[in-house]
Amino acid sequence: MISRYIIPVVIVLLIDVTSFVLASPVDFAHEVVPILKKHCAGCHGGREAKGSFSLNTRKLWLESGFVDPQKPEASYVLELVQSRDPEMQMPPRDKPRLSAKEVATLKQWISADLPWEAGYSFGIVAYEPPLKPRRPDLPLAEDCRNHPIDRLIDRYLSQHELPRPAPIDDATFLRRVHLDLVGLLPTPEELKAFLADCSVDKRTLKIRELLADDTAYADHWLSFFNDLLRNDYSGTGFITGGRKQVSGWLYESLLYNKPFDQLTQELIAPPSKDSRGFIDGIKWRGNVSAGQTVEIQFAQSLGQAFLGINLKCASCHDSFIDRWTLEESYGLAAIYAERDLEIHRCDKPIGKTAQASWLFPELGKIDASASREIRLQRLADLMTHPDNGRFTRTIVNRLWHRLLGRGIVHPLDAMQTRPWDEDLLDYLAVSLRDQKYNLKQILELIATSEAYQSQVEVVEGAESSDYLYRGPRARRLTAEQFLDGVWQMTGAAPDKFDAPIFRTKVEQAEVPELELHARWIWGDSAKETPPPDETIVVRRMIDLSAGVKWGGAVLTCDNSHVLYINGQEVDRGQNLAQIRKLSLHKFLKPGINEITAVIQNGGTKPNPAGFLFEARIELENGQQYWIASNESWEWNPDVPAERKGRLGRISENWKPVTIVKPADKWTEIVDDQVRERLAEVATGKQPMIRASLLKNTPLMKSLGRPMREQIVSMRPSQLTTLEAIDLSNEASLAEAFTEGAKRLIEHSDGDPQRLTEYLFLYALSRPPTPEESDLVSQLLGDSPQPADVEDLLWSVCMLPEFFLIR
Amino acid sequence: MTFEIDPEAPAQIVRREFLRQLSAAGAAALMAGTPRLLNASEPGSVKHPQASADSCILLWMAGGMAAPDTFDPKRYLPFKQGLKVADMLSTFPAIPTAVDGLQICEGLEGIASVMDRATLIRSAVQPDLGSILHSRHQYHWHTGYVPPQTVATPHLGSWMARVAGPRNPVMPAFINIGQRLEGVGESEELKAFTTAGFFGSEFGPLNLPYPEEAARSVRPPQGMTGQRFVNRNKLYRRLIDKSPQRELMSDYQQESMLRSMDKAYRLLSSQERDAFDITLEPEAKRQKYDTGRFGRGCLLARRLVESGARFVEVTTEYVPFLHWDTHAEGHTTVDRMHKEIDAPITQLILDLEERGLLDRTLVIIASEFSRDALMEGQPGSNAKDQAREKVDEVSEMKHYGLHRHFTGGTSVVMFGGGMKRGFVYGKTAEERPLMAIENPVSIENLHATIMTAMGISPQTGFDIEGRPFYVTKDAKGEAVQELFA
Repeated sequence: MISRYIIPVVIVLLIDVTSFVLASPVDFAHEVVPILKKHCAGCHGGREAKGSFSLNTRKLWLESGFVDPQKPEASYVLELVQSRDPEMQMPPRDKPRLSAKEVATLKQWISADLPWEAGYSFGIVAYEPPLKPRRPDLPLAEDCRNHPIDRLIDRYLSQHELPRPAPIDDATFLRRVHLDLVGLLPTPEELKAFLADCSVDKRTLKIRELLADDTAYADHWLSFFNDLLRNDYSGTGFITGGRKQVSGWLYESLLYNKPFDQLTQELIAPPSKDSRGFIDGIKWRGNVSAGQTVEIQFAQSLGQAFLGINLKCASCHDSFIDRWTLEESYGLAAIYAERDLEIHRCDKPIGKTAQASWLFPELGKIDASASREIRLQRLADLMTHPDNGRFTRTIVNRLWHRLLGRGIVHPLDAMQTRPWDEDLLDYLAVSLRDQKYNLKQILELIATSEAYQSQVEVVEGAESSDYLYRGPRARRLTAEQFLDGVWQMTGAAPDKFDAPIFRTKVEQAEVPELELHARWIWGDSAKETPPPDETIVVRRMIDLSAGVKWGGAVLTCDNSHVLYINGQEVDRGQNLAQIRKLSLHKFLKPGINEITAVIQNGGTKPNPAGFLFEARIELENGQQYWIASNESWEWNPDVPAERKGRLGRISENWKPVTIVKPADKWTEIVDDQVRERLAEVATGKQPMIRASLLKNTPLMKSLGRPMREQIVSMRPSQLTTLEAIDLSNEASLAEAFTEGAKRLIEHSDGDPQRLTEYLFLYALSRPPTPEESDLVSQLLGDSPQPADVEDLLWSVCMLPEFFLIR
Repeated sequence: MTFEIDPEAPAQIVRREFLRQLSAAGAAALMAGTPRLLNASEPGSVKHPQASADSCILLWMAGGMAAPDTFDPKRYLPFKQGLKVADMLSTFPAIPTAVDGLQICEGLEGIASVMDRATLIRSAVQPDLGSILHSRHQYHWHTGYVPPQTVATPHLGSWMARVAGPRNPVMPAFINIGQRLEGVGESEELKAFTTAGFFGSEFGPLNLPYPEEAARSVRPPQGMTGQRFVNRNKLYRRLIDKSPQRELMSDYQQESMLRSMDKAYRLLSSQERDAFDITLEPEAKRQKYDTGRFGRGCLLARRLVESGARFVEVTTEYVPFLHWDTHAEGHTTVDRMHKEIDAPITQLILDLEERGLLDRTLVIIASEFSRDALMEGQPGSNAKDQAREKVDEVSEMKHYGLHRHFTGGTSVVMFGGGMKRGFVYGKTAEERPLMAIENPVSIENLHATIMTAMGISPQTGFDIEGRPFYVTKDAKGEAVQELFA
């Protein structure tokens, strides 16, 4: 069966025919447009561009090569409409041909150099969204609904004569806000406490409490940003070094709630290599078509992620769907490019080199002659310019979508679309700027509104193009939310994770208690003063009796270091004051491990040199260790030749290191920082491992976690059959349910009623109804058996009520 | 062929009239931001051709099957010390086939005996991508697009699943046999095209890396008896009936979720799931296929097609430097590969024929490119020579074989599914470079041919992110009409 969705394509004429006066013998609007509309526009007008030919604008005609105003009779388009070859003819053979008179009109039109009505396009009417921020006047509150969002929405609903959706109860609120803000289910204990709380502002307090849980917040929103920045811990490109993660930097940014403008700036003009991965994109080995080079990827990623502009069309030719042109895409790409970027139209050079420029010159221009670093910095400033309303509107729209299920502009990456309420979008956008780009503030603003705290719209029929807001929409759990929820109830979360990140935000009070073991080390020359530019190797072998559950290291060097673990380069540092920290669990293995650093002194005359390293690890068997630079390390004067990312062979010329007395500036600059950074890596206290921190798995993939080779801003909303098969029998999930059943029985001391109540409260944030209790007690009897409990647990987790956030 | 739902299986959970479900599904697809079929406003503007096949089995020779050592024998020189690599074209002699005048390589005697059911294309060509990365060429072959791409491109099996749909509502439309996607080299790159891409996972592959364990993927979880599985589902349905949120049942999301759960249950408790269990095949027949994992995969593919699968891929498995990926020891390895593929492919064709299925099943043998003893890529390529042993003269057996990747001309074999029988199309040069010199068939046109056979217009396109995306690149693929019977 072939499905067809019937969507009318609307072609709107933008001209005012009555005012149309033209002395030319051919009347474009009255003679040419009807011919093109009748015979051609169905396949080549509006969004359609069969054979890559769009007739939307005069420019596109001229660029197509289908017309030759100099030699009109040689125009390819005339050949096509007159051809008798059924394979070649246009319109295709099953459609009526052009009459001789129509052909003559076309020819005349081409001879006259294609007269066109200024501004006319066969394209869909483009709504041009405002660029500058705008602060809308808030309407008066209705019925004491004072929240700014509600004042706007209430007016919207009155204008459209729509009913106000009913408010939700506390339990529904708690489940919704928990899953939305931190991605977890509220525990039964928390639910009971919340319901029992009589204070009037308890919802607002709960919202603040959740947003203040930094680790849970970062764990949850990491997935949102990984999708948006196509960042992952495994995937294409890593194999040939053609791709770098930004995970460590990203997680830390979320943990410390870095303002969104700063976060964006650090992605566009990376202050260190930790956030470089986004602009560097994915490089495949071999030739790549002109529309897919890393420079063009840069333009596309930037446009999509931060501006909701789809430059994928305009990377190949002027867009048929919005106003962006090929040259504008290449201009953006050229900001990043370190080589001359030759503009290609549909993979063929047009003999023009791209000039670095950006999409909204009204905010400021890029100096194309400046260095790349300066161009990127300038772009970062322009992107986050206070007057760039497109930037703030794009991100607040994404947050609104996450919390209410549908964007104010929808789809999210088509920000040229008219919002269903401009004032609402503009209000949220200026609020973000007012709040100094603090995303948590915007989440709080939305979540505290009555609009957010109201019942979801039941969507029955096909969505028509004229969407009206009638309330939030239900959202399905993401792969990560689903697994986290199951793991919360079953205790089956894995005990280690893949993301190279640190989950703990350090509270200043904890820092001084940490004991440092590391000492500064160097080679023999440090007995005197080491010569400038001396390069040596230091190492430590460690024997681990088990795999590493978690681990992290801090290190720094006067002047620079490259660190290798088991021969693989894992870190590089060039600034003594910038203490490096490094996640270790993915590099260390059971058995012998070699930690090696190639370290270099600087300066022009002899000066102090030293290397400092300290790590904390916990093995899978629970043992905790520290590893620190000290007299147990060895040094070697023979520095191996540099090989890409791998340590070359070193002679066996190892000698004990010299302990170096720390120079004053080291102690000043370094000590406190080292302690603080170590505190971040050294904590064994782990909240539950979350699915967002794991590499993608077949199960998560089938549950809709994207592969992140492309930016994905909206996950699938439907549950597919293949997912359902996995949910029914996937091994790791089935194990989780088996384990969870035992835990539930233990937790309720084998009491079937307590068990049922606890399960329903956890999974659905409500007790079972009497009918449900009856049903379950028939199943469980007096002493619940693990298999029955397991089946009950599975059934509850498969209920739409569990799977949907309502 | 018609299919009956297992009488044991319960009625659908969602008891709503069929049309309502359809419209809800449509609405759901739209809301998900899923692509819409292009030209929907003008019914009939893309005309799907009359299908000549209902099912398709792709037998994937992963790693670069050397045409001169399989289906396109050239001058044969046996192993001897001092043999000049430059003189080496084929390392197997030619043998006759069931088609007069048509020869293929020694070692493929079984397939030779059924070549009268085959169309042999000897002039398939691939573009030079400047560097050989198997997974990248495989991505191109499987999706029609060269990575990287701005949108996640669907596998050709997903196109069939999306456009032609399942043949049997219970049976997943796209089944992928034999390729492990974890723990092998380039696995992330393999995953990048083993996907439904922007169509969403409903149209993605059911991956069955081990044919002998396939039954497990459609069985209740390990340790759960059939009776318990049925009871679990009964409990689930009762809980749904009792749910206080019953009034939200009309919600499209909820409805589609219940429908999917129901379909999964129907497969996992249906007779069709027996198709996944190759141990149910009579022992004697099983023996005929069992040359290894690939052979067992062929048997599984046959059983799945019999039960209504739409598209099945069976691979010899891509693992860097193994199987067809001969960077050294080429002759010895290909000899082993012959033994692995010859009997099961032959048996698959004979079985399909015996069951009257060959006419409507398109079986394709293909690979990402060919190999050559001397030439890497094709003339003028910048591709780096990746042969392990770079010698001018053969001194040991490990030097004897076709150790370079060659993209200038390779063979594709098609059986059944409306293709001509005993027909050869195109040819390659007799001397190096062994380029396709007659009727070259590009990946676009090959895909167009396959899609046409499956009743899918090569111009079928979907609107994704406001852009058209076609089943053949830029809708330019054209079916090779001469191949059709």
